Amino acid sequence: MATAFAGRPAPADHAFRWIAIGSAAIVLVVLGLIAAVMTARSIPALRAMGFEFFVSRRWSPANNVYGALPFMWGTLYTSLIAIAIAGPVSVGVALFITEVAPRWMTRPLVHVIDLLAVVPSVVFGLWGILVLAPTLGRCVLTAGLILGMMVTPIITSLAREVIETTPAAEKEAAFALGATRWEMIWGAVWPHSKSGLVGAVMLGLGRAMGETIAVALTIGSAIGQISINPLKSGNSMPAAIANQWGEAFDLQKSALIALAVLLFAITIAVNLAATAIVLRSRKRSSR
Amino acid sequence: MMRVAHGHPEIACATERTDLRARAGLREAKDAMATVMFGAAVVVVAVPLALVVWALIERGAHVAFESFPAFFTQEIPVVSRRPGPGMGPAILGTLLVTGGGTLIAVPLGILGAVYLNEYGGVSRFARAVRFTAMVMTGVPSIVMGLFVYIGWTVHFGFSAFGGALALACLMVPVVIGSTEQMLRLVPEALREAAYALGATKSRVIVTVVLPAALPGIVSGSLLAVARAAGETAPLLFAVGAATSFNIDFLGGANTALPVQIFDNATSVFVGAQDRAWGAAFTLVLVTFLVTLGARFFALRSALQR
Amino acid sequence: MLKTLALFAAFAAFAFVPGCEKGSDRGSAASTTAPPSARHVTLNAAGSTFQTQFQQAAIVGFEKDHPNITVNYGEGGSGRGRQQLADMVIDFAGTDAPFHAEDLSKAKGGAILYFPLLLGPITVSYNLPGVPDLRLSPVTIAKIFQREITTWNSPEIVADNPRATLPTTGIVLVRRSDGSGTTENFTKYLEVAAPGAWKLKSGASIEWPADTVAGPGNGGVAQIIKSTTGAIGYVDLSDAKAAGLRFAAVKNSAGKYIQPTTGSASTAGEGIDVRDDLVFSALDAKGDTSYPITYQTWLIVYAKQGDEAKASAVKEYIKYLLTSGQAMLGGLDYAPLPKTLQERALAQLAKIQG
Repeated sequence: MATAFAGRPAPADHAFRWIAIGSAAIVLVVLGLIAAVMTARSIPALRAMGFEFFVSRRWSPANNVYGALPFMWGTLYTSLIAIAIAGPVSVGVALFITEVAPRWMTRPLVHVIDLLAVVPSVVFGLWGILVLAPTLGRCVLTAGLILGMMVTPIITSLAREVIETTPAAEKEAAFALGATRWEMIWGAVWPHSKSGLVGAVMLGLGRAMGETIAVALTIGSAIGQISINPLKSGNSMPAAIANQWGEAFDLQKSALIALAVLLFAITIAVNLAATAIVLRSRKRSSR
Repeated sequence: MMRVAHGHPEIACATERTDLRARAGLREAKDAMATVMFGAAVVVVAVPLALVVWALIERGAHVAFESFPAFFTQEIPVVSRRPGPGMGPAILGTLLVTGGGTLIAVPLGILGAVYLNEYGGVSRFARAVRFTAMVMTGVPSIVMGLFVYIGWTVHFGFSAFGGALALACLMVPVVIGSTEQMLRLVPEALREAAYALGATKSRVIVTVVLPAALPGIVSGSLLAVARAAGETAPLLFAVGAATSFNIDFLGGANTALPVQIFDNATSVFVGAQDRAWGAAFTLVLVTFLVTLGARFFALRSALQR
Repeated sequence: MLKTLALFAAFAAFAFVPGCEKGSDRGSAASTTAPPSARHVTLNAAGSTFQTQFQQAAIVGFEKDHPNITVNYGEGGSGRGRQQLADMVIDFAGTDAPFHAEDLSKAKGGAILYFPLLLGPITVSYNLPGVPDLRLSPVTIAKIFQREITTWNSPEIVADNPRATLPTTGIVLVRRSDGSGTTENFTKYLEVAAPGAWKLKSGASIEWPADTVAGPGNGGVAQIIKSTTGAIGYVDLSDAKAAGLRFAAVKNSAGKYIQPTTGSASTAGEGIDVRDDLVFSALDAKGDTSYPITYQTWLIVYAKQGDEAKASAVKEYIKYLLTSGQAMLGGLDYAPLPKTLQERALAQLAKIQG
């Protein structure tokens, strides 16, 4: 790239470049540190428990037995409840905004959704524990509902972006054939946006799985409970870490860190898959 | 129609599925039902969220504004059973921690994005950094909290600075992402004109590119700040739970609004719960204001449509 | 970004510089008892939530008399208190149960002194509209808390309450999520009073059955009970009364059903057997009118403080708790220490060195 007149890059220019490189490198360093440090600290517990860590239901710090299965179950169950509700509802709202709502309603709706995406999770947790839980109890269902409320704005925004990339030509073609609006959506928008919407919902799933505070407050903090009944109390990986860290000794700390590493790995996998799907659908739409 | 269908087999199939010869009444009915369902989706979303906002206002606003400015300036009562204000130390703590995190994260994020867009291009290093930043935006905040505890709190104790570090770790990837987007939108012509005048690369960036992208960068950064202000999990591990004002950034336990909300949410005493609602109201108000600020700057950004 | 910073700074300046009002608790009243040029000392503590209300009330009174000393009590449960004291992260801790032998070696600061502070009942609190006077025997309690009994109208509960009509509601079992001295004493009581029936042993954290709901601190458990119909759990009297909970009369070793009150707790405290290091247990005490689940709590601190000012501040605070503080206890629904125990504790103060 062209630099100074005389062909000699000024030292300040050099320095700036290196500062920029350093700043970018910090991201790599931090992620590398997180991965390395956390994995290293989780090894004592994993070595002590072996494969049992992933399949045992028992979690007893007093006896140094640690099984992650109930926490994995709770994380999975609450997140699935969340997107089972939030997925269809968010797509419905996104379709409403892009296809149904009159012009004057669109901008305000979008603004409101964006504002709701910024509401801190602890506020949802507070509402959940003081307003919702007295009715439903502290259980997987309450936590799942709160999670659903939290991820809806995120999925809606993404879904809206995906739907808006539907080529106008296809939509107009459908109308030209005499299709009703619903038939146009089903015939033109949906086939085009399907995979992108799946990606959006999966990103919501990733977000729901990593949510700590709202779940910790509403799920009931049960130990060892694996149940299909959503009205029973449960626990989740991040909630368990938040609740137990304060007084954990050595091996329990290591077990909690192992839970964190497991959670990290799962959410990264879900997020990467989702991003790949969304990107792929974007590429296809710009053909 | 045929030309459209040729490149998009799925639309030909789709219109085959939709039988446009079906009775007009049935099709209209389906359309009407679909519209109703979409509207219902909006209602399903709106009702609980409205309930939350309503609860915040009904339970939190009067706590926050009662005998103003008591809630914002008085210390947190030592006797947790006692009703009454305030949450002053938590507000100060949130300012310190979020402000500190912003001071660390925004310059780092902007410089990192500058590297990615102006120097790095598609080099392997740049691609690795982009990928890592994207991965890090999805890190559960509790993982970050544990990391800060192991790496910082254990050695240096609770402090506002530890909280700022934790929030900075969460903010940097977001700032890098949004800033890079903004930089990409700066027209190449602006840069070329500056080079033609003999400026060095760093001068071009600092005097031409960054100012052009500035409103957009500010908007993106403010959104990152709004999200960071509401984070709880990392602060639980880094900041502690003081009840009195602590302006000492580097020393001693502090507290923050999200931490106080979390602690008081599990209290059986109405006084403590009221303070939690007041703190929640304050926190949401602050994040809304910051988000509106972000939107303001986004509108002023000439780079966006 | 600069604009944002300016906004922050302006807000901070407007809100805080004109004068941070101290909360109504921490006043800055002139002291009459503190030495004139004492260095400011901060004492950090954590632990038992059983003694939290006492600590908080005492801190307010103590700091008025000693404006150069600040005390922070961070709760967290007896387990956390002991751990943080062992790590020397705090200056003293509150605990309802002594260190276990194997944990004592983890204490980095040497010998630990136990200062008893008060006695109080563990209530078995419940939420069952229409059943105002529940009575429970130890074996029934053991079965409930092991989830062998899961509905309110089960035969065992009916047998304890012949005159009440019990509904078919399911029992929601509430327990502590944190390592708790209250849990430890409650489970120790069940070991002693229902030895054949109680199988889960005792400890700050035990292996509870899976189908339970847990909350942090005595207050957290109280909150769940208060908001969940059909719930039952164990909460100390002070927190249970302040929360407006109903609690059961428990059958003591003399066969009488006794309500948890400060009176029945004091009665339980008479005739307890106190070791030389002031460790004792008030559980399952003898006597017709003793409340059987009465327990105790200590302030634990290292004998060697390593700092003259800290040592003297700690001594001042403990002395306050053992003298003026004892007068506060009745109003907070605790039972004061028996006279002889109070004197022995005061005498132990001399063992704290700078």
